[in-house]
Amino acid sequence: MKLLTKYNRINIAVTVIIMLITGIIYYYTISHILTNQIDKDLVLEENEVFSYVSKNHRLPDVYENNHQQIVFMLLGDKQIERRFLDTVYHDADEKDMEAGRALISSVKVLGHNYRIMVTQSKVETEDLIQIIFLITIGVIVSLLVILIVLNRVILKSIWKPFYKILFQLKEFSLANHPVISTTPSTIDEFKELDKAVISMADRVKNDYQNLKAFTENASHELMTPISVINSKLDTLVQTDEFTDKQSKLLNDIYGTVTRLTRLNKSMLLLAKIENGLIPDNQDVDIKEVLEECLYQHEEMIHQLNIKLVTNLQDKKIQASKSLIEILLNNLLSNAIRHNYQNGELTLKLAPEKLTISNTGKGSFDFGQVLKRFHKSDGSEGIGLGLTLCKQICDNYGYNFDYEQDNNTHIFSVAF
Amino acid sequence: MKILIVEDETGLRDSIEAYFTGNDSICETAKDFTSALAKVSVYRYDCVILDLTLPQGNGLDIVKHLKDNGHNDGVLIISAKDSLDDRLTGLDLGADDYLTKPFHLSELKSRVTAIVRRRSFDGNNNLKFNEIDIDLAAKTVKVNNAVVKFTRKEYSLLLYFIANKGKVVSKSAIAEHLWGDSIDIADNFDFIYSHIKNIRKKLVEAGGNDYIQAAYGMGYKFTEA
Repeated sequence: MKLLTKYNRINIAVTVIIMLITGIIYYYTISHILTNQIDKDLVLEENEVFSYVSKNHRLPDVYENNHQQIVFMLLGDKQIERRFLDTVYHDADEKDMEAGRALISSVKVLGHNYRIMVTQSKVETEDLIQIIFLITIGVIVSLLVILIVLNRVILKSIWKPFYKILFQLKEFSLANHPVISTTPSTIDEFKELDKAVISMADRVKNDYQNLKAFTENASHELMTPISVINSKLDTLVQTDEFTDKQSKLLNDIYGTVTRLTRLNKSMLLLAKIENGLIPDNQDVDIKEVLEECLYQHEEMIHQLNIKLVTNLQDKKIQASKSLIEILLNNLLSNAIRHNYQNGELTLKLAPEKLTISNTGKGSFDFGQVLKRFHKSDGSEGIGLGLTLCKQICDNYGYNFDYEQDNNTHIFSVAF
Repeated sequence: MKILIVEDETGLRDSIEAYFTGNDSICETAKDFTSALAKVSVYRYDCVILDLTLPQGNGLDIVKHLKDNGHNDGVLIISAKDSLDDRLTGLDLGADDYLTKPFHLSELKSRVTAIVRRRSFDGNNNLKFNEIDIDLAAKTVKVNNAVVKFTRKEYSLLLYFIANKGKVVSKSAIAEHLWGDSIDIADNFDFIYSHIKNIRKKLVEAGGNDYIQAAYGMGYKFTEA
């Protein structure tokens, strides 16, 4: 639920409740005041009767006017208590019953007790209350409408900076360069939020940069000791005769150092691509590079007796040649290594897309293999090959994709 | 040939020196910028193996110094930085080649030999080794004056062996030389054998000697005897 909606709901509910309570209190207060007013009129009438009786020693004529009537009744010995009561008023003109207020009292005329009942119609009072009630309801409704509209308009404009900051946060990516720009606002909370978001983004970016720089530097620094080991090994094998056991050990060391070198180079390359340090764009003829890659892999293709189908059109792109070589070599290596004896390998280079499809066992989760150091079962690689491919494609804005069709794995690069 | 090794990492410098010294080569070493500059100012070398990140200075300034003074020494840059900027600057300044660390000594030797060969046989691009005669420009091989057809990889491997004659060349080094480092080298070990078998066969069939020996399962050695 949006904050605005939630806020509006609470606001409206509270407003309605308060208005209703006010209305009820209002109603009772006003009707109380008006009833008092009528009661005063009734008392006035009673007093008139009393003064008439004391002057004339007889009851006044019974009359009826102005929504008021007086009725006298002989009481006998009974005593009557003076009281006000709500009753019904019979309107003689309109011949209907109306709500009324009555005062019952007694008067003594020439030794006889009479009961006086003065009744007054409350129609006007009720009308008044009705009007007041309607006005109140009208005020409530218009107040609500105004509140809702106003809230909507004001809050929308007030929350604008917030949504702008939110949008920037959503778009925030460590890999992209545009930083979060400040969002001016006159509201302290938003100013603070803006400041916090900007400083957070800066901090995160900084940490990420440091981490990347560290990876690069670490890989870099490792190169020197590796090259010393490598050269010492090369020197060692010149020295003497070796037994089978020793040469097997030496071979293993060679293999491991080579692996280490490859791993390190791949990490360095990844860090460099991420840092955008591969600026050497040049015209690269993909067809030519692809043919060179095929030449590099000819022995393996031959050994596995893979049926090679190529359909290569000319395609030139602006990119770093070494990166494209790595990309194509990795894709081709995978397509061959995960192929089986007498399998098939199809290369299709069209102006907009390169597809490499190969027969191969099993299946894998493309999203998983793109992760660093993920290795499929039985893979002998270092687990960075496809990660590198993805990075290289991302770097140039190419779309790197994978599909599986039965036993055929299809990798594609859309330029 | 006379070679100067400029490298601050003692272990690496010693290995290179040990690998290059002997036969027809003389090696000198420098461990920092100042001593390297002093040496290239006084002596001439067939090739300077130059590390770029040196104590007291940048190796590129030595290349500049050589060219500014009109010295025609060959320069091979070795650097841990595989940055294209350095590579281009180095080559622009007049370095002959650029090799990224880590490398195999045999690869270094083959590159240095190529540089020295290019510089010393101006115009004459023939490499002779006993009965083998290689035309480096046309990339053709003659054995006992008869042309023998080699594939691209076999030809490259033959040159590699000749440059490293008398040395054990490891399978890793061969694989890296033939297939580059962007391909998983272990995949290709089996194929080295078949390439070498082919070279031997072709040399022997043309009446040449079998110079290539297997070295304890680790690699191969090209020997004169």
